[in-house]
Amino acid sequence: MLAAKLLWRNARSAEVKLLFTALLLAVAMVTAIGLLSDRLEATLLKQSNSFIGADRQIYSPQPISPLWSQQAQAFGLQQVRLENFSSMVFSSPAAEGYSVQSAQGSSSQTAEGSSSQTAEGSSVQSADGPAAFEERMQLAAIKAVEPGYPLVGQMEISTVPFATRSVDIEKTDAVPGLGEAWVDSRLLAQLDLNINNSVFVGEKRLKITRVIITEPDRGGGFSLFAPRLMMNRADLAATEVIQPGSRIAYHWLLAGTEPQLKAFLDKLQPELSDHHQLVDLERAQQGLASTLATARQFLLLAVVIAMLLAGIALVISSSRFAARHTEQVALLKSLGASSWKIRRLYLGQLLLLALASSVAGLLLAEILQRLIALAVVMMAAVELQPGSYRPYVLGIVSGVTCLIFFALPPLWHLPKISPLRILRQDLPVSSVRITVQVLLGTLAVLLLVYLFSGNIWLTLSVGAALLAVVSVAALVALGLLRLSHTLGSSAGSIWRLAIAGIKRRSGQSLLQVVVFAIALLLLLTMYAVRTSLIDEWQLQLPTDAPNHFLINIAPEQVDAVAEKLQRRGLNTAEIYPMVRGRLVKINAVEPSPALRKKVPLLRREANISWSKNLPADNQLSSGKWWHSEEEFESKGQQRGLPRVSVESKLAKKLGVGVGTKLQFSFGGLTLDAQISSLRQLEWDNMKPNFYFIFEPQVLDKFSPMYMTSSHIPPSEKAVVAEVLRDYPTIVVIEIDKVIEQIRDIVDKVGRAVEVVLALVLVGGILVLAAAVNASIDSRLQEVGLIRALGSSRKLILGSLAIEFSLLGACAGIIAVLGSEALLLGLQQQVFKMPVAPHYELWLAGPLLGTLLVGSLGVFSCRRVLNTPPSVVLREVG
Amino acid sequence: MGQIMLQVNAINKRVNTFNGELEILKDVSLSLNRGQSLAITGASGSGKSTLLGILAGLDTPSSGRVCLAGVDLSELDEEGRARVRAEQVGFVFQSFQLLPGLTALENVMLPLELHGVGSAKKRAENFLARVGLAERLSHYPKQLSGGEQQRVAIARAFASEPKILFADEPTGNLDSVTGAKIIELVFELNREQGTTLVLVTHEQRLADRCDCHLTLEAGAVLPSVEQQATEFLSC
Ligand SMILES: Nc1ncnc2c1ncn2[C@@H]1O[C@H](COP(=O)(O)OP(=O)(O)OP(=O)(O)O)[C@@H](O)[C@H]1O
Ligand SMILES: [Mg+2]
Repeated sequence: MLAAKLLWRNARSAEVKLLFTALLLAVAMVTAIGLLSDRLEATLLKQSNSFIGADRQIYSPQPISPLWSQQAQAFGLQQVRLENFSSMVFSSPAAEGYSVQSAQGSSSQTAEGSSSQTAEGSSVQSADGPAAFEERMQLAAIKAVEPGYPLVGQMEISTVPFATRSVDIEKTDAVPGLGEAWVDSRLLAQLDLNINNSVFVGEKRLKITRVIITEPDRGGGFSLFAPRLMMNRADLAATEVIQPGSRIAYHWLLAGTEPQLKAFLDKLQPELSDHHQLVDLERAQQGLASTLATARQFLLLAVVIAMLLAGIALVISSSRFAARHTEQVALLKSLGASSWKIRRLYLGQLLLLALASSVAGLLLAEILQRLIALAVVMMAAVELQPGSYRPYVLGIVSGVTCLIFFALPPLWHLPKISPLRILRQDLPVSSVRITVQVLLGTLAVLLLVYLFSGNIWLTLSVGAALLAVVSVAALVALGLLRLSHTLGSSAGSIWRLAIAGIKRRSGQSLLQVVVFAIALLLLLTMYAVRTSLIDEWQLQLPTDAPNHFLINIAPEQVDAVAEKLQRRGLNTAEIYPMVRGRLVKINAVEPSPALRKKVPLLRREANISWSKNLPADNQLSSGKWWHSEEEFESKGQQRGLPRVSVESKLAKKLGVGVGTKLQFSFGGLTLDAQISSLRQLEWDNMKPNFYFIFEPQVLDKFSPMYMTSSHIPPSEKAVVAEVLRDYPTIVVIEIDKVIEQIRDIVDKVGRAVEVVLALVLVGGILVLAAAVNASIDSRLQEVGLIRALGSSRKLILGSLAIEFSLLGACAGIIAVLGSEALLLGLQQQVFKMPVAPHYELWLAGPLLGTLLVGSLGVFSCRRVLNTPPSVVLREVG
Repeated sequence: MGQIMLQVNAINKRVNTFNGELEILKDVSLSLNRGQSLAITGASGSGKSTLLGILAGLDTPSSGRVCLAGVDLSELDEEGRARVRAEQVGFVFQSFQLLPGLTALENVMLPLELHGVGSAKKRAENFLARVGLAERLSHYPKQLSGGEQQRVAIARAFASEPKILFADEPTGNLDSVTGAKIIELVFELNREQGTTLVLVTHEQRLADRCDCHLTLEAGAVLPSVEQQATEFLSC
């Protein structure tokens, strides 16, 4: 193994060390960032999946087949089952009730035990019924769970109703015991009960042992109108509420690794009927899912950028390797080595080098990611999920690919070197053309980016940015050389020396500028993307977003409630009127059974509102919003049917459009209306949204109720209990916990992004250092010579600093241009963010370039100044 | 295989430059027997190095034939010439051409290992001892003086026991005392191994020690007194 021997001996030389380091860097960086991204992604997904209490949920009106359970077990999945249904619960006569203020509010609504709370905009709660002795009743959303629930996430419970202090709140993996019930605090308020009192669910008496503070899979939106009562599944039969025909949603919660889940669900797919609904995060929390998706894109971008940086490092180091080995090859050839033998020798060395650096790189990556995971545990108290083996493969693949496309071309000509070079050093070396190298490298990059991301836009953006950098760099370098002609003659001696340096190495300088520029470009882009992502995420959920909804406020209560809140300094947002109604006819025809099956809304009542103005978050997609009354009359138009605006996705499902006539039923009274517009709206913006909005006044005769929302901070949480006590008919929906949960996850995503950014930054600086170092060689001799000729240390350092800083500044400017090009593509096509110029980059780019490259340059050459010139000349000569 | 080691017939070397074609060698012919030594002298730029390169098979003539150890180099491609070099040829250069990353010992071992010679280390050590560097085996070239470096180069050249050794100004970078020692060494090894020698040199002293002597002037062989008598250069 001559190759091994040679490599071992060459290993002492700087260029082999550099090549080794670059390869190691390539493998380690891609692997570490890949591993970390993988683990962060898995962690974030797990955390987010707590929103459905599992990784997947399937629910259906029929019990889940036990056969499926067995299969799931065979696939190694965790599972629990639970039932959801609505039922009246009664305060037990045995409880020492003190419902003095009962029957105060007047309610026009009756119980309507329909629909499961997983369907959007569901059931109405009932008010207190006929108060026979002090018994109270309330429609509750019952959830019967078994131990193990929730599979993902944790419940928070307390013995203190409406608890907000963390000392009162307990995290638990347990579920209510036999004969126990855990309930929402507001159920206690509504039933006028206390902890340790009892309630009846059907025939079963349950003791309330805890209040529920958070329940991971409760969901945002308005799903849960009725307060929650959670009980043990084993008590279910005893309640006797489950009769043939009762509406129950049977939920099946599954957890496991993504591959396991995918395999199982693929197998299960053919057996699922129309009744089975598969829920994943995407369905449950679209907003969060898309945040995660962007985060995933970002992490992907990080890996791609790490790979590019590694590629640059490789090009630099292998060019240097080739330059250094030209003499060695010429010598070997004069000694009679054939081209073939030399090719084998060098390929052998390269392969061995790749092997060694890959192993070392993987090890380093493993250590790095473990350290970072440890840091994350300490900083964010989050245990990272294990990742897959994929990043290791990715690391090796990118290492090998980089080697082939970046490291090999500069070495390719080595075997073709003429042995005559041993006699005539001036003989030109026919190395692979720089343009061919650039082309090859770019192609490889694009290929890799596409392979890794599968995203054509990301690929094209990277391509465009690289193109921009190379062409601008060429232009700037030309301009710089021109400028240096005029500057050089008039400037002081330090400047003259610096500019002469750049001029003398114009080819090399150009290459360096390109390398610096690409490295800086990648760093700037990474930084900018991260900043705008985090800004965007924070915008999604402003800290004062409404986190409580008050529903079912009677017209005469509206002012009193608003005042109550205002006294506490809480603002109520707009007050929306609301009527429960059902869509019964479309163009005077009853919807077909098929359509009714397809559109759940046709089977139940919807919340219908009216408004003078288009709600802020809604966008008109067709038709017109109603004009003011005056405008109407002035145009002399005839008033036709009442006008209604319909949500556009629903309209599509129903097959209706502007002009379609709809008939609604409001508690038996019908109303004909005509669609005047379609609206698009964001369902998961945590705000009230309506499928149907009428023009004002039309619905006045259908005894509307009102709703409003407010931001209630934890410190003011007591007001909720107060409102519920004073106005038992009002329904308060608390989404503060959900918002907190989402914000927490978004926060963690942000931090994950920061960690990865830091890693990439370090990688980038290492690459810059390598680039500077590679260019040092030719300078050392010169510096040694100038020093020998008696120049002062100050002059040399000064001119070096200027030379590198100029190159760095140039690279910085070019990097900003390229970065903007890349960001344009990324933001528009990959992250789907608004596109805006990044002014801060225009400052940061050149500044960073100047400082970083300048100081790295001076630092690398400093050694020469501290050694006697004779030693330097001897070493480099 | 006959007595003749090197046979050159009317070689010419022309190169293209910016100022048109340049003829570096004109009609050079010579022949050299086994074990003999040849000195090539001439003014700077007269084409000595070019001729040496062609004789050693590092370069090809524009026309004419070179036979080395009975093999016609002009019929071989680069790979074939490499094989001939590997089997027959050794080099010593003016600028030593040691690999800076390798120790003295490793430098000497390199050709042996390249040709797959067994016990490379032992042999290399032997030859280094022969040139008086037994104590400097693990030193790097930059830690050695010019004369020491050239001795390493000579050890390297002789270690693979070439049939013919080409040296381009082996003493050009050395002072006269050191140069003389180096020359001694070369002739000693030449005698021991029966190596044929081709030396390019500026030094008359060195040229005089050789069996034959050829002077170039502007790429053409300058007829010397003896040569005029023999009409054809043959030693
Ligand atoms: N490839 C080439 N292209 C252009 N000119 C060449 C080439 N090879 C050799 N020459 C020229 O041919 C002439 C002879 O060169 P050569 O190196 O053989 O001279 P030399 O006798 O060895 O000189 P010195 O004693 O200085 O080493 C020189 O003028 C040189 O410039
Ligand atoms: Mg010469």
